[in-house]
Amino acid sequence: MDFTISEEVNSAQQLAQQILADFTDVDKLKALEQQEERFDKALWRALGEAGLLGLDIPEEHGGTGLGFYSLTTLCEEAGRTVAPIPVVPVLVSAAGTLRRFGSGAQKEHWLGGIASGTTLVTAALEEYLNDDPGAPSCSAQKMDGGYSLSGTKICVCLAPSAARILVSAKAGDELIVALVDPRAAGVSLNAQVVTTGETRHELVMDKVQVPTADIVATGREAAAAMEWALLATRTALAAMAVGVCDKMMRITGSYTSEREQFGRAIATFQAVSHRVADCYIDVECLRLVTQQAASLIDQGRPAGEAVTMAKIWCGDVTHRVSQASQHCHGGTGVDRDYPLFRYCELARQIELTAGSSARLTGELGGEICAQHLAKAG
Amino acid sequence: MNIELTAQQKALQLEVREYMKTIMTPELLEEMKDPELKEGGGPEFRKQYARMGADGWIGLSWSKELGGKELSHIEQYIFTDEVVRSGFAYPFLTTEAVTPVIAANANPEVREEVVGGVRQGKVTIAIGYSEPNAGTDLASLTTRAERDGDDWIINGQKMWTSLGNFADYVWLAARTDPDVSKKHKGLTMFLVPTGIEGFSLTPVHTLGVRTNATYYSDIRLPDKYRVGEVNGGWKLITGQLNIERLSLFTHGQVDSLYQEVCEWAARTDAPGGGKIIEMPWVQHNLARVKTGLEVVKLICWKQAWSMDQGPLNMADASVAKVYSSEFFVELYRMLLEVMGQAGTIARYSPGAVLQGKIEFRWRVGAVLTFGGGTNEVQRDIIAMAGLWMPRTR
Ligand SMILES: Cc1cc2nc3c(=O)[nH]c(=O)nc-3n(C[C@H](O)[C@H](O)[C@H](O)COP(=O)(O)OP(=O)(O)OC[C@H]3O[C@@H](n4cnc5c(N)ncnc54)[C@H](O)[C@@H]3O)c2cc1C
Repeated sequence: MDFTISEEVNSAQQLAQQILADFTDVDKLKALEQQEERFDKALWRALGEAGLLGLDIPEEHGGTGLGFYSLTTLCEEAGRTVAPIPVVPVLVSAAGTLRRFGSGAQKEHWLGGIASGTTLVTAALEEYLNDDPGAPSCSAQKMDGGYSLSGTKICVCLAPSAARILVSAKAGDELIVALVDPRAAGVSLNAQVVTTGETRHELVMDKVQVPTADIVATGREAAAAMEWALLATRTALAAMAVGVCDKMMRITGSYTSEREQFGRAIATFQAVSHRVADCYIDVECLRLVTQQAASLIDQGRPAGEAVTMAKIWCGDVTHRVSQASQHCHGGTGVDRDYPLFRYCELARQIELTAGSSARLTGELGGEICAQHLAKAG
Repeated sequence: MNIELTAQQKALQLEVREYMKTIMTPELLEEMKDPELKEGGGPEFRKQYARMGADGWIGLSWSKELGGKELSHIEQYIFTDEVVRSGFAYPFLTTEAVTPVIAANANPEVREEVVGGVRQGKVTIAIGYSEPNAGTDLASLTTRAERDGDDWIINGQKMWTSLGNFADYVWLAARTDPDVSKKHKGLTMFLVPTGIEGFSLTPVHTLGVRTNATYYSDIRLPDKYRVGEVNGGWKLITGQLNIERLSLFTHGQVDSLYQEVCEWAARTDAPGGGKIIEMPWVQHNLARVKTGLEVVKLICWKQAWSMDQGPLNMADASVAKVYSSEFFVELYRMLLEVMGQAGTIARYSPGAVLQGKIEFRWRVGAVLTFGGGTNEVQRDIIAMAGLWMPRTR
């Protein structure tokens, strides 16, 4: 048992911290929020130049090959700075899946550009009332030279500017994973404004033709790919939540230490300081379960239960810390001229992405039941 | 980053688990049905405790010089976790918290008597800190020790002196400087043999276990039983309190309750057909318990690992205490809910589920949140040490 974080992973995290801090002052964030597409391209390029977009991409494809754990520390830092960059959909859900399940040619074609920041491949894992990409309602029909895809995916990040969108669909009983070109015939992208205020897209596919070169996996391989993508995405979101919640709690600790009422700092009221202390406890708990999930995935070990528990904690902690932070700030916390609201919005977005606490608790309970019924014979 | 036990650590875990099965003899289980002997002190307890000493299981964390094995904190945690899981009333405070302090600070003669006795599993020590009017504000204690030639004259009352009814000594905190401005700086530690003239006690029966009020009436105690410097007691107390918590909140003891309830729910028929475990609300509770338990495990491991790297971070130690104590209480409730009314049937009554174990654990668990350093003070520490917030008032 060893909780040591390697030198290399630590220095990559510190480098990310520096670059992200440079790019995310309030004025920059405000300006980016006025853009139609909320994406800091300059920051993305800077991260690419520093080798940080390729943390989980092998060296032969232009990455640094530090592995999945290291990538989750970048997600944490992106959360800490509420940076408008697509670390989870592009680097985890799409690139992480391609690197593990894509063909040699696909890796050759896409990973280098993703690592350098010149190409965006995003992912669309969710559908209406369905966050399991292993059981999509989108359908696929085999045809000459590829597949034809139909169906709807929701809340897709950066769909219009992505070169491809990674999706799953069912061809009869068989699962397939494909890269859809958002400019292909039959694709429509409908703007959807989400909690963070950013514009995402509903991706509607009507007999979209995907050539064989863009089919990532089929059958069992596709099922394994989507299982990996789901676990990795949940874990990356939990890591991002660690950054978001840690920062919200620290903002609140500082604010309450300065703000005075009744002639004293409000943090000197136990009722206030203890609420912040509870956030500290929550963040530590979330950090531990997230590190466990990330390190299991990193080592290619079975991670299903660990990830489910991490995402349940993620949903609970984002909600509690966000609410406590708002409460301890009073009116200042909800003011859009004060930074806290961004964190609260992102916290809620993460909470409801890729499986909520309630749903995953139900799922875990079902698994516990199945395991013990099997044991009882 | 690899948060799993190594093969060697797993082997130790299994070894202790198997060994403890031989300690929990049918005779001991029978003896423990007596509420007065549940926490130890009966002849069968003494026999098994001495056997652990003879087999070399006591003081594994101590230095080689004291006859210990200098186990790492991780190994020490694995040992503790398994011993607590077994249900044996192993006197951790004696072996892990107090004895090392005595070894480092006591007069050589007393050190041999006490440390040697503990190593052989023949000596237990009760903790005499709390008083009727000194709880969380421990340094306000008023039990007096006054110098008289080569002796000390001790007068006062202690409250909640657990194990005092069978312990060989009380590890006593007393005031040696009555100057109130020297609150923390006027305390000295003593070992009071419980056979000494002037020592007496009355039982205190609680929601859970039996404990004691202990009385000290003109006890004449030789100076050799003083431990550490005169007026230097506070440092010895606070050092010890941190270690106390490490044996209070271990994972195995609650994990095994969870496992047992899962197994019970999987073999017990539900009224409307199927098994209890198939009901959605039961699954919900079990999943919640599992999700919370996972963090107990990780916090314990992280603490043990951190202590092998260097001193424990103050805020982290408090996080562990608050989280675990509050989750334990929640866990008891969620598991009892699964059993419903049957969960209230007490130990040894017909129809008790899992021998009424969880009902009993709930009783004992009521003290967890304020004992071992109350959670309010722990949260104060987290806010100050973890977030640099100002002291509350
Ligand atoms: C079964 C049992 C066994 C015990 N065994 C031992 C033993 O072997 N040896 C021993 O020395 N002691 C023992 N204790 C005593 C135990 O350590 C004390 O109960 C504990 O220190 C709390 O003190 P108190 O009970 O006087 O409560 P109090 O200190 O009076 O606390 C009451 C309430 O006030 C709150 N409070 C106190 N101070 C603050 C503050 N600054 N801010 C906010 N809230 C505050 C507490 O959190 C608590 O909720 C035992 C107690 C029990 C019940």
